[in-house]
Amino acid sequence: MSAHNITMPFPARLRSPLKLDPVLLGTALALLLGGLVILASASVAVSDDAVGNPFHYLERQAVAALLGVGAGFVCLLIPMQAWRTLGPLLLLAAFALLVVVLLPGVGHTVNGSTRWLRIGIMNLQVSEPARLCLILYLSGYLVRHNKSLRERFTGFAFPMLVVSAACGLLLAEPDFGAAIVLLATALAMLFVAGARFRDFFVFFAAGCIAMAVLALTSPYRLNRLTAFLDPWADPYNSGFQLTQSLIAIGRGEWFGVGLGDGVQKLFYLPEAHTDFVFAVFAEEFGLAGSLCLIALFGVLLLRIGRLALRAANADRLFEACVAVGLGTWLGLQVFINLGVNMGLLPTKGLTLPLVSYGRSSLIVTMAAIAILLRIHHELATDASPANRRRPRRRA
Amino acid sequence: MSRGAETKEQTARRFAGRLALVGLCFVLAAASLVARAVHLQVFNRDFLNQQADTRHLRTEKISAHRGAILDRNGEPLAISTPVDSIWANPQELAVAVDRVPQLARALDMDPPLLMRRITRSMNREFLYLKRHLSPEQAHRVLALKLPGVNVIREYRRFYPAGEVTGHLVGFTNVDDEGQEGLELAYNYWLGGESGAKRVLKDRLGRSVENVESIRPPSPGKDLRASIDLRLQYLAYRALKGAIREFDANSGSIVILDVESGEVLAIVNQPSYNPNDRAQYSAERYRNRAITDIFEPGSSIKPLVVAAALESGEYRPGSLVDTSPGFVRVGAKRIEDRRNLGRVSLTTVLARSSNVGVTKVAMALEPDQLWGTMTRFGLGSLTASGFPGESAGLLTHFNHWRPINQATLAYGYGLSVTPLQLAQAYAVLARDGEHRPVSLVVQPELPRGQTIITADTAQAVRRMMEEVVRPGGTGVKAAVPGYRVAGKTGTAWKFTAGGYSKDRYLSVFAGFAPASAPRLAAVVVIDEPHGELYYGSDVAAPVFAEVMAESLRLLAVPPDSLPARDADGKLMQAMSR
Repeated sequence: MSAHNITMPFPARLRSPLKLDPVLLGTALALLLGGLVILASASVAVSDDAVGNPFHYLERQAVAALLGVGAGFVCLLIPMQAWRTLGPLLLLAAFALLVVVLLPGVGHTVNGSTRWLRIGIMNLQVSEPARLCLILYLSGYLVRHNKSLRERFTGFAFPMLVVSAACGLLLAEPDFGAAIVLLATALAMLFVAGARFRDFFVFFAAGCIAMAVLALTSPYRLNRLTAFLDPWADPYNSGFQLTQSLIAIGRGEWFGVGLGDGVQKLFYLPEAHTDFVFAVFAEEFGLAGSLCLIALFGVLLLRIGRLALRAANADRLFEACVAVGLGTWLGLQVFINLGVNMGLLPTKGLTLPLVSYGRSSLIVTMAAIAILLRIHHELATDASPANRRRPRRRA
Repeated sequence: MSRGAETKEQTARRFAGRLALVGLCFVLAAASLVARAVHLQVFNRDFLNQQADTRHLRTEKISAHRGAILDRNGEPLAISTPVDSIWANPQELAVAVDRVPQLARALDMDPPLLMRRITRSMNREFLYLKRHLSPEQAHRVLALKLPGVNVIREYRRFYPAGEVTGHLVGFTNVDDEGQEGLELAYNYWLGGESGAKRVLKDRLGRSVENVESIRPPSPGKDLRASIDLRLQYLAYRALKGAIREFDANSGSIVILDVESGEVLAIVNQPSYNPNDRAQYSAERYRNRAITDIFEPGSSIKPLVVAAALESGEYRPGSLVDTSPGFVRVGAKRIEDRRNLGRVSLTTVLARSSNVGVTKVAMALEPDQLWGTMTRFGLGSLTASGFPGESAGLLTHFNHWRPINQATLAYGYGLSVTPLQLAQAYAVLARDGEHRPVSLVVQPELPRGQTIITADTAQAVRRMMEEVVRPGGTGVKAAVPGYRVAGKTGTAWKFTAGGYSKDRYLSVFAGFAPASAPRLAAVVVIDEPHGELYYGSDVAAPVFAEVMAESLRLLAVPPDSLPARDADGKLMQAMSR
């Protein structure tokens, strides 16, 4: 696609043509479109059984993808400077979402977890936009208080307090997976932005102890923890989902059983179209497919890392922190999701970005990709001679 | 920007360094994912595939198609049609226990009853809910999409001729195994061997793919029954009419093809409809013509006469003195209905003289009489192979006392089945050659065995024709246009405490056309309750009706057409 030559209809905001990173955009689109195909295959039986329409989930996901394209365009047009100044407002919005969902009668509960708000036709999983808002806010904070972050404990402790509060709200839903991702993302951002190792390790130790206590006090988490280590000990109970996932992946062998020919998605593997869509994919496309998928996500992350580095080198620390935050979030979610599918990590309800069924996740992920593309655009136009001339013309 | 005393370069360098560390973490994570994927999809695949197979693969039965039973002209008597049976895995159905009433309605069953059956079978994985549903009804049940509820293809038998062939054909049980009649006798031939296939199932138990065929089903072979459905129908109709007309308890008709010994019709009353077995009644299910025995009464006399002729002591014209109309054997007084005086052997038979035939029988050697009877097939099973066939009773001559030999002559003290009697008459019709009877079409004519000389057989036949002529006891068995040979019989039934005085069995046995017999038939009417009960009045007209229609149907040329004059007009004397 002619990524470099799109002229936006907003000359006031964008005087130069959009400079999109073709690799970032390409891999994201490949994952999105390929994801829809895999989702179609994974959800057809479940859809047909649940609502009588084999394309029920596919259609909903496709609508979400269109909404995501719309959200992406909006994000593409918003200058990074705006996000930076909006920081405190975004923080407020994030907490508002996380609190509102917990109010009795407001949040929508599925499988014992209150994670969704009903808005119009779809349910919004509040942790998704909240996480995006927090990453943007945190980036602004890290730039504003970079010195104190590097030199004082309070500079490290304040953002961690904010993030911990958000994590507490997520645990109250409960959404252990989302809390872990948010916490780890924040830690990575603080680390890259220059936090002292000392502060970092203090918090890290405290966090580890807290998590261990949490896992041990909640029996179902302990169950999940032990189940993933040896799922074959109890394959029809606590290890059921994981063994079914492993079987699906194993059936794929070198080149898979072929698109649509998977058997495990036929009600053997629970959540085949959401958290365990990778298992379905691995069954149908084999090791070759698994490696391709990992490679695609690898390219995506590499590109985001490169973007962060370029932003840092261009003295745009905010953009660099946003890129690190978004990259860490996406990377963690991919790693945890694939790790869960393959039995490397305890079972957590986390979607595979751009592939799993989950409309909130898809729209927010596409918005995040758009923000990254915007950073690339701003860096590219900044360095171009045309851009350097612009202040002179204004003056 | 409040970044303190640090140059841009320092910031950027630190950022790059720390980012690299984060990147390294991700590289390690990616490496672990790749290693795990290789482990699962390459090294662990055998184990995982085996685990998959134990969950996905199931062996399913493929019901074999059961062979059809056809009549000798290919008309269907028993055919298998595909039906659907609904089964369930009770353990899987348990999760949808609240929808069982819905399921019961779709199955047309009592909800509490169905619920009890399901709960009783909780430790099983297979339970037939209802068998042999029409595909439409099965589809309605499956449309409920209940977990663990599935369909299996089976075959069920239909009997197009219903009660007309019910006794001969028999029926199968719900598992398609023969239970009665030809279905049982030829089960090994009709029943196929069900096959097996390995199928891939989804977790709700539905087959999604045929993986491999373990054993193809071998369908059963068709069976050609010897009966002619047209003759069977008309015999059945005539019998049913007679039973109603004479208010009789039961009855049988057997028609044999004289040349081959094949049974062309075999019907009984009361009968049953094998398609509707809701009201089972053992009494209606018996193929009386093969399983029930009776004392043949006078219908045995032609065989005694044949034995007499074979002995060389008698000729058809030999005179027998029947005066004074009775004879004493021991304490028993054997009598005729009226004193016939000194008559020929032919007349003894034509007028059915008990005294005459007793005297003849008493004059014969016991072993010769017994031997002739035995060679006619009395006292031993026929070759029909029909399940539950009776061999009849014929006491060995070593155990005879004079009275036994005497009563045997007019058909008491021995028992036969209608089929046995027909077989014996067919020997007379076949010029003395005994051929085994058969209920299925014979690929080639079975080898016979000559048991009496052709001369004897022909002589007895001529004598039997007199029975049907005016003056004989069987005039009502006459068939216009054909010469008929036969013999009536009326037997008192033996009940507790001796022979009943008011319960009879009417028999007529014979063959036609007498000049070159094609069909041999036996009509037995048990306990007619009307005013008429003699074989000559009850069984003979039925014989005439059945024989007349059968001969016409088989286009047997008449052998007794009224003579014509030169102009082709019927001569007046022969017109009636």
